[in-house]
Amino acid sequence: MQSRPQARYAPGETVDFVIVGSGAAGGVLAKQLSTRGYSVVVLEAGPRLAPSDFKHDEFSYWLNGDLAPKTPVTWRQTEQEEARVGQGGIFRASLVGGSSVHFTANFWRLHEIDFIERSKLGAIPGANLADWPITYADLEPYYTMVDWEVGVSGTPGPFDPPRSRPYPLPPMPVKSSGVLFERGATKLGLHPQSAPLAILSKPFNGRNACQHCGYCIGFGCEFGAKSSSLASVIPVAEATGKCEIRPNSYVRKVELDARGRATGVTYFDADKKEQFQRAKAVILSANGAETPKLLLMSTSSQFPNGLANSSGYVGKHLMFNGNTGTMALFEHQLNEYKSVQATRLIHDFYDSDAKRGFYGGGGIDARFQQYPIAFALGALPPDSPSWGSEYKKLVSDYFNRTMMSAGHTTSLPVESNNVTLHPTVKDDWGLPALRITYKDHDDDIKIMKFMAAKSEEILQAAGAQKVWSFPVGVSGGTAHLLGTCRMGKDPKTSVIDANHRTHDVPNLFLCDGSSMVTSGRGQPTMTIMALAFRAGERIANLAKRGEI
Amino acid sequence: MSDRVSRRAFLAAAGAVGATWLFVDPQRLQAALVHARKTVLQPPPFRFDVLTPAQAADLEAICMRIFPSDGTPGAKEAGVIHFLDKALATFAAPQKDFVLNGLADVNQKAAAKWPGTTSFAALKPEQQDEYLKSIEQTPFFGQTRFATCVGMFGNPSYGGNQGEVGWKLIGFESHGIYQPPFGYYDAEAQKGG
Repeated sequence: MQSRPQARYAPGETVDFVIVGSGAAGGVLAKQLSTRGYSVVVLEAGPRLAPSDFKHDEFSYWLNGDLAPKTPVTWRQTEQEEARVGQGGIFRASLVGGSSVHFTANFWRLHEIDFIERSKLGAIPGANLADWPITYADLEPYYTMVDWEVGVSGTPGPFDPPRSRPYPLPPMPVKSSGVLFERGATKLGLHPQSAPLAILSKPFNGRNACQHCGYCIGFGCEFGAKSSSLASVIPVAEATGKCEIRPNSYVRKVELDARGRATGVTYFDADKKEQFQRAKAVILSANGAETPKLLLMSTSSQFPNGLANSSGYVGKHLMFNGNTGTMALFEHQLNEYKSVQATRLIHDFYDSDAKRGFYGGGGIDARFQQYPIAFALGALPPDSPSWGSEYKKLVSDYFNRTMMSAGHTTSLPVESNNVTLHPTVKDDWGLPALRITYKDHDDDIKIMKFMAAKSEEILQAAGAQKVWSFPVGVSGGTAHLLGTCRMGKDPKTSVIDANHRTHDVPNLFLCDGSSMVTSGRGQPTMTIMALAFRAGERIANLAKRGEI
Repeated sequence: MSDRVSRRAFLAAAGAVGATWLFVDPQRLQAALVHARKTVLQPPPFRFDVLTPAQAADLEAICMRIFPSDGTPGAKEAGVIHFLDKALATFAAPQKDFVLNGLADVNQKAAAKWPGTTSFAALKPEQQDEYLKSIEQTPFFGQTRFATCVGMFGNPSYGGNQGEVGWKLIGFESHGIYQPPFGYYDAEAQKGG
């Protein structure tokens, strides 16, 4: 793999850009800016791991969260409740590459409708649905950049939005789950297609192809075949000699001067010692929980309610994407634990449909989900025993003969779903802990139930011997943290403009899941990377013209 | 990660009671791994670090009712008790009292129910099942079940799943690299097309 030239900057040295976060967005921005000649320091809260550090170890990654930050997060459903640690979970990886290292790599583009739903559908009670200030056509060239620079395998499906260039890599080989799902969906007159994945089906850009080890969801790829920012764009950024990735650095405040311009960021280094990194411009790419948290912690006399928060929108309209899980048992061995998670999906129910009587849409995929421990703990049909001989028999008979279909759905932007600072609970750095407030909109629950029912129909049609769904209810955890610093034209109802520049501070930019105005139908990472490719280009152009 | 389904479903399925005692910090886990590898290399007779022989026998008896040795290997053959002892000696040390108090309670109640009983391990399997059924909904049973599944199906490096018997039981291989076809239906499709 690529060598790492060691660009090193002293914190006191003024760099062109300091980027907070090295994940899907931060990694791409580092690449976009450093390859255009700008000096960049990326501050990453987690450590730097090499591909050889990644383990096939369900217990460590899934149960003990070896890749996750350990800092306390508090949670509640409504603003009337007291938020507590352990009430819900946000699943993220804290290391160079961020959650793009451990994600499943499902890589769906948004469709045209995702950008303009407010004007197409009108207002929805209980939600603050809005159009994006950009359209699919604006973002399409950058989706294509993601395809070709990061590495995506797939083939277009019948409901896909237009694309300017084919996928660079063919789809991953279909698994038994994909064959069965396709069979069932086709019988029902639906339109199954290959699942696009940010996983290399063939060697690409000097990187290895997937070896079908099966450890994608929740794991790091030791072959470098998963297109995380760590495997794809960060090596390119570092090869410029202009970009330093500084791990173990947790940023606690964006500093301002008397003119209201950002001067850099204060952070804790690996020894928890405070440092100040000076920069001409600051970009936050810490995703939908940590980006608003950092802004809310960055108070000053100019911004008593949090930096760049004149709208009051910082932290609001948190969206997760709904999820459902439907299991099915078949006669023969599927051996689903081999290879990537998902190989087929349908987008027949992508668009919202007034005939259903509620807002929402999504996709359904065919996948492997539970590694052995999780399978034994909770994947059997609900009427199964949970210990003893019969239980043991079911676990051993079912493990290789089951698959799952997962529904991935819309979340409406609800003002009271938000990220705030906990008034008393502290995080590992002695700072206010995250406080997540989240209760799915009624329509979000309805579309999840709809998708679970459709999944059951498809799997029945595929010839399953038995089909069962996990209960649908209010979300108790998420890996998708979207919408909390939304993009928009009006400074009164959005935090950033279409260039990702905050309306309030001219040299402060935000780009990550928090920028998204609507949730899409799950699988937001492709869009976050496309936004970052676009933002990087636009921010570089602003810098070139002296407009930052 | 792009999906949260599994974790949510997993946590829901594991139940509110099941998921706590093995959730700890990674440094302790690393120490445990080193420890477990070391002890695997120790020649028999095996020495427990935390559990007394009597406690180990009772705890193992519970694990063996969860995954019985009924013609195919169960918790005993997987060495789940060794995983549990190592866990309690290292990363799950804060849960030691919870586990030992729970065990003491099991013995006390078993003795009350079947006078003359010296220990849970000494009961007949049918009696053990009858008793466990009565405590199925307790945090102690939930967490013991949770830990037993980890000891059964976790990586052998933690001291359980010895000889990969848990994985072999369910047909999970650990080669690390595969080539298509992966299963019956994709093989069939490949032939057909």
